[in-house]
Amino acid sequence: MSKFLRCPYPVQMNVTADLAVGHPRRAVIEQAWRAIGPGVDVLSSDDGGPLSRTVKRIIDPLVLRLRANPQYSLPVVTPETAAAMHELIVRSGPELCAAAAWFETLKLERRRLRIRTGNAQEMYFPVCFELAVTKGAPTPDDHQTAVAVLQDIHQGRDRIAIEVLQQYVASPDVVAKLADQLDRSWRDVQPGDATTGPFMAELGTVLGAASNHRSSTARQQVWTAMIADETPYNLGALARTDGAELPWSIAELGLSSVVPQRKPKVHGESDSDRPLDRSVVDRVRSTLRRALDRDALPDIPLLCEEEVDRAAAPWGLLSEDKQATLVAGIEVAVELAPLDRSVASRYALAAQIQARLRKEAYVLHARRYLAEGGPIHPRQRQVIDDLAAYSQPYLNRLWARLHGRDVWQEPCDDIDDVRSLLEGVARSVSLDHRQRIKAMLELRATG
Amino acid sequence: MRLIADSGLWVAGQETEPPPLAAVLEVSGAVLSWTIDAAPEAVQITLTDPARADWMWRLLGAEGHVALASALEEAADPHTVELAGVDIAAASIASLHRLAVGHWLRRWWPASRRDGIAGLDGALLDVEVAVLTSYGQSFFTDDTLDSDVAGLLRPHAPALILHVRDDDARTRNLVRAGAELADDLGVDGVGWPELFAALDDPSMVLDLPTERRDDYALAAGAGEGPQGAAPIARGVASVHWCGVPARIFDAAEDTVDWYVEATGSTAVAVVHAAVIGPDPATGVEVRVLSGTIGGSGALDADGRTTVPLLDPQQRPLTESAAWDHDWTNTSVIIGAQASQAPESRETRERVRRWARARLERPADDTYLAEIAAGESSY
Repeated sequence: MSKFLRCPYPVQMNVTADLAVGHPRRAVIEQAWRAIGPGVDVLSSDDGGPLSRTVKRIIDPLVLRLRANPQYSLPVVTPETAAAMHELIVRSGPELCAAAAWFETLKLERRRLRIRTGNAQEMYFPVCFELAVTKGAPTPDDHQTAVAVLQDIHQGRDRIAIEVLQQYVASPDVVAKLADQLDRSWRDVQPGDATTGPFMAELGTVLGAASNHRSSTARQQVWTAMIADETPYNLGALARTDGAELPWSIAELGLSSVVPQRKPKVHGESDSDRPLDRSVVDRVRSTLRRALDRDALPDIPLLCEEEVDRAAAPWGLLSEDKQATLVAGIEVAVELAPLDRSVASRYALAAQIQARLRKEAYVLHARRYLAEGGPIHPRQRQVIDDLAAYSQPYLNRLWARLHGRDVWQEPCDDIDDVRSLLEGVARSVSLDHRQRIKAMLELRATG
Repeated sequence: MRLIADSGLWVAGQETEPPPLAAVLEVSGAVLSWTIDAAPEAVQITLTDPARADWMWRLLGAEGHVALASALEEAADPHTVELAGVDIAAASIASLHRLAVGHWLRRWWPASRRDGIAGLDGALLDVEVAVLTSYGQSFFTDDTLDSDVAGLLRPHAPALILHVRDDDARTRNLVRAGAELADDLGVDGVGWPELFAALDDPSMVLDLPTERRDDYALAAGAGEGPQGAAPIARGVASVHWCGVPARIFDAAEDTVDWYVEATGSTAVAVVHAAVIGPDPATGVEVRVLSGTIGGSGALDADGRTTVPLLDPQQRPLTESAAWDHDWTNTSVIIGAQASQAPESRETRERVRRWARARLERPADDTYLAEIAAGESSY
């Protein structure tokens, strides 16, 4: 009998209404991992479970393929899902063993080549699984493959693509053509006359308290209607109109250096790093840098043409769901202030995030990186002031994520996904801030 | 187990003391806290993001995890959730407690020349915390403030080289484990290539000094007074730990000496706070307050400064006004002014008692840096 038939999750259960049914996702993964048996040691932690990076870089994206199977990503999964996950992982046992062998091969080669940059697990795990699927386990003759893989990783595929981009836009004709296209696309964007009131009112629903299933269904229906609403488009178009009335200032939000928003350049020095000020080429460069893990992108000329249209679109984003998400993000961002205990939130989601940020600020106090509510050393003043303007880094990062999703045509039509995106951005901005506050103390000043 | 909603977050377990008695640990989706001298079981768990706390089954069992997740999801808007039969497993919390204590030691250890509490070897401590964090990686599925293993290791290669041939096998093993971790993580920076080479061939470091490096680089020089004439007034004060960064000041009481003297026709307060390092006191704020007279300044690297004093009209205080003033109730505050009451002398004494006990009676969860400090004849 093969291993995966002995499934530990009896799917037909006697379920009583008040009994919580399901399995913690990580527990399911861990149990399946142990069922694979020996051969995956280098991918396992000391207690025999998979390393966190094994889960993050191999199991989730390549074995369970969460993108295609969102049901596998829930924190608690049903017995049926648990059984399916278990089977998938155990059935991938041979590939996982081969991936482990490839990792050992690559690590040996890494040491031999005296490469010490980058997190080996983070960088090599996906490619090891890819090799395992395409080539099986490494053979003694695969030494050259390992060398080639390491060179590929460490010399940077992104750098090569970026060089191609530089050559392409070195031609004045190309830049002139793109500038022409940008002029036309920019002129095409005009605000309509729809009122913003209903959209803003509906935000109250989608950013409201997260609770039971009924309200979650209602929330999804409202969001589906909202991403078809013209309001986000109109607001984005108004942001570039002189004297237009917007609920916020795009300069204070940190999205643009000036009001109204100016047409971005195709190429050349930007005066600021604000999202809406960035040049077309600069945006394409970011796409290429983030493209490491992805399948092939369209070729550079096509990518540039598409980015011109995107740069000309309201909020610098083509699809309506991204524009709507940015507007929702703005409304959340203006309510966040980690060190201010007096902030009252209009939205339950913002209140939730604010509560989290305050707790995280408390951790800094408990570690003597902050005094109660303020700097513990004058050197931290600048970072603390930045914290007061939380919406700027928040929207900067949210915009970058939405830009990525816009390029890769990943939807923002699921409100739970959108909410977790808005939460995730707050988490990473907070971590970034706190590391800077720490670093300010760790600067060894002399004299 | 009972969960209570506290300003939007679910909190389980016991109430714990505020800093400096709080040992905290930030894991994915939760902040755990303990009172430093209480038992590991007496933990408080604040769930910042229950959906990201995918490790809860390790503490509560799979059924407990599912029960908790579903209770929080179903909770319409209650302030309390009661989970019958769900409890935190004592064994699994111990390693997290140890990690929280390690982070506490890094920031609050009351090193003091005056009290005779030896400092901890920062490199050994950070590396042990890094290695334990790596063991506990299943609690750090997201990056958190405490998951930065590479950051803990990065500065320490030069100090670790000195331990490659340490007499203590535990220390040698720890250095090796830390270096392997650094190699995997791609930690680079000053001294790492040399450390890797030294581990491959320990005889290379034969000529290096092997005694423990003393982090107390700065001179103490307490109790000195003004040169020449008798001062107008003098006194002592204590540093409030919560108001100053770690690794600068001697943690004893009454370490701040001050006196008021005349320079020319105006009066100044000369302040000296005893430092212990390794970090300099540069830039730490000082405030002198005596009734309606006050002044502020910033310390130099050795913890000294001269504060110009101002009268109630914000003019420089004249010498004669200084002689006329009653200086009995003068406060000298080092560092940030607390918005709430700063920690008490008794609290600091409680921390010192606990620290001394750690040094005198090492236990299973004692860090190597503590053992080394306990063994050093300070």
